[in-house]
Amino acid sequence: MLSVNIRKSGFLKNLAIFFAIIGPGIITGSVDNDAGGITTYSVAGAMYGYGLIWTLIPSFIVLVVIQEMNARMGIVTGKGLSDLIRENAGVKITFFIFVGLLFSNIGNTTTEFAGVAGSMQIFGVSKYISVPVAAVLVWLLVVKGTYKIAERIFLIFSLSLLTYVVSALMSKPHWGEIGSSIIHPQMEMNTQSLAMVIALVGTTIAPWMQFYMQSSVIEKGLKIKNYKFTLIDIVVGCVVTVVVAFFIMVACGATLHPNGIVINEASDAALALKPLAGKLASQVFAFGLFVASVFSATILPLATSFYVCEAFGFEAGIDKKWDEAKEFYILYTGILVISAIIILIPNAPLIAISIWSQVINGILLPVVLVCMILLINNKKIMGTYINKPVQNIIGWSAVGILTGLSLMLIIMPLLRR
Amino acid sequence: MTSLTTFYLSGIIGKEAYDTDGEVVGIIKDLVINAMPSGFNDGGQQLVTGVRLKIHKETKFYSFRTFRVVKAREKLNVMCSNLVELKSDDVNNGLLLVENILDKQIVDLNGRKLVRVNDVRLVTIQNGTFAIAVDIGIEGLMRRIGISTPIKKILSLFSINIPAKFILWDDVQAVDFSNLNIRLSKDYSKLHTLHPSDLADILEDLDRKSSMSVFSSLDEEKAADVLEELEPDAQIHMVENLPINKMADVLEKMPADEVADILDELEDEKAEMLLKEMDKESSQEVRELLEYDDDLVGSIMTTDYLSFSASKTVEEVLKELRLKKPESAELYNLFVTETNDELIGSFNLRDLVVAEPNVNVSQIMKSEPVSLFDNQKASAIAEIVSKYNLLAVPVVDRNNLLQGMVVVDDVVEDLINKRRTKKR
Repeated sequence: MLSVNIRKSGFLKNLAIFFAIIGPGIITGSVDNDAGGITTYSVAGAMYGYGLIWTLIPSFIVLVVIQEMNARMGIVTGKGLSDLIRENAGVKITFFIFVGLLFSNIGNTTTEFAGVAGSMQIFGVSKYISVPVAAVLVWLLVVKGTYKIAERIFLIFSLSLLTYVVSALMSKPHWGEIGSSIIHPQMEMNTQSLAMVIALVGTTIAPWMQFYMQSSVIEKGLKIKNYKFTLIDIVVGCVVTVVVAFFIMVACGATLHPNGIVINEASDAALALKPLAGKLASQVFAFGLFVASVFSATILPLATSFYVCEAFGFEAGIDKKWDEAKEFYILYTGILVISAIIILIPNAPLIAISIWSQVINGILLPVVLVCMILLINNKKIMGTYINKPVQNIIGWSAVGILTGLSLMLIIMPLLRR
Repeated sequence: MTSLTTFYLSGIIGKEAYDTDGEVVGIIKDLVINAMPSGFNDGGQQLVTGVRLKIHKETKFYSFRTFRVVKAREKLNVMCSNLVELKSDDVNNGLLLVENILDKQIVDLNGRKLVRVNDVRLVTIQNGTFAIAVDIGIEGLMRRIGISTPIKKILSLFSINIPAKFILWDDVQAVDFSNLNIRLSKDYSKLHTLHPSDLADILEDLDRKSSMSVFSSLDEEKAADVLEELEPDAQIHMVENLPINKMADVLEKMPADEVADILDELEDEKAEMLLKEMDKESSQEVRELLEYDDDLVGSIMTTDYLSFSASKTVEEVLKELRLKKPESAELYNLFVTETNDELIGSFNLRDLVVAEPNVNVSQIMKSEPVSLFDNQKASAIAEIVSKYNLLAVPVVDRNNLLQGMVVVDDVVEDLINKRRTKKR
């Protein structure tokens, strides 16, 4: 057995290491394009055409920098982000962050079920069937312990997100216009388009992803000597996020915008694509939305309950029995049930829920980021692996800009009155 | 002034300490306790030896002997008669309550699991201040956030009580010293009393740095027992991070088949280095086992078995066993071989015990025992074990020479692992 491995050439060996290491970044990147994200990108494309595509470039840079910090913290300390925050920032900040995270993620999960309901409606399935069935399946999948396999299946399914590329190409976009709108970013200075930009950035860099990224790095047992592969994994994951976002905006910008069609939900976009780009494009879009929604509806409640328990010292994990980890299972089940029920209420204020969970996200994100940057620059915790000046500059300016944007998001509705 | 004052750590951290004239001495930042059980009192209490005090802009350690905590009209006051700097020895041997305990994970020795500390309960009596328990309940959490009193009032309207959850000081062990530079193995002494499989579960839940430092504090025997119980991922982590010579000593104490399983997962260079460092005899056995593919009988058999020549008497065999003191698994099945290791029979402990002392082994053995081939598929084992109700099955090569035996424990473990990997 010993002789076999030695014969591998350098390149093959590197490739083998890479495939053993990939995962955290790419999965996080895929979960990022959830129902909320798809909705935001579709609405932005329909309202502003190619006008806001440029926002993806700064989002991408910040996303890579933040996720790299998470990976590094996970590798060096072997501790989850919620552990580190609780141990170093104290109970009060921890409490604020996790109560916020809990509420925003109930909102986010609701959005995921809205995605399930909307996409299945396009295939003619009523939401009173699709949502309960999806919720029960997700619950069983996680609690009955086939989660790891499920994650891999989802990862393969998430390739269907690339169907948006097909949708976009079928809608015959105007590439010259897209190019020039990226090179010469423009933005109307009014409350509506500002809100759109905040939503775009906020949905691309969601606070809970930081926690998710760091724990998947630990679970995977990554080491600092394989750091460059982890970096590749992160960049690939972020590219996936941004590429999918790009093509959704292009698809909606090419078809819906010129016709002046305004949409509120991602499933509206799928419906609206039908007469303009054909039935197939619409169904492809709906299928992608469905997969993305179920994927995130599986991971979001699970991850949220896990981090809350980790921070407050309750036992957590799907390998524990109900009696051992009562708080964990109650939280997990509670998030799923509440979110599914909200969707089933006739005339539920879905748009208000999704806006409010984004507002909470927007307030949380700078707090989490400040904690992260302080932690990662702490020599007691990180040793020689603290941030380089460039990383700090990008990190702090992201905090500054995001705080500014979030403040505007809160103040703007007041000014409108 | 009462002679007994109980209070919470969170109640005095950040508070000012006053001297006898009522002047502020400094702000309390942390308390130091003796890291080792003092033996000075009963084990349930731990003397507070020092205090980290911020005076103007300087933070220093002072002896707590001159401090008293008193409660006057539900208000805590910290009084200090005079300031004596704490000896650096006491600082280094001490444990900081805020830095090492509060908000950190510790081991609950009774529940045998990790818990997070929300607060520390202390008491001041005539001969000093002592840490008596850690608070791990929701009530402690709410007290820290500052919403305990109002919520308790609201809940009392519905006659709901929030139960407090404490663990006595004697039953906890701090494990997270990542904020300190060095830690000595004796700091983890309480953990060494845990059963190896409980300790293994705790190590898996700990972060990697702490689990590593707890593991390296164990002596070789205990470390070998714990390593056996760890999940493969955690095993690899330990083996890769412990110094080669120490790891080799630990591996020598383990059954060869377990060692082979671990080395199989390592990088080749590392595995080779460990094999070279181990003593000849152990490494040779492991090398032989490493030759077998994962799905063959040879890969799960152990080479720790006992064999005797047919001409030995029962008394001689018993004497030999008393001398060797073998592990219990080695006694599941005993073998009879020719001088060239050819397997000719087997007997068990019962056969041995009920026989007269001067009877020869050849008379109590079963000849032509059920056996497995070393290069047979491992899937055949379970059927044979259950069909013949065997605790251990001998493994032979093509020429019927005894190579080792497969123990039922390993078969069960193998089956469970297979199911688990399928599930995941």
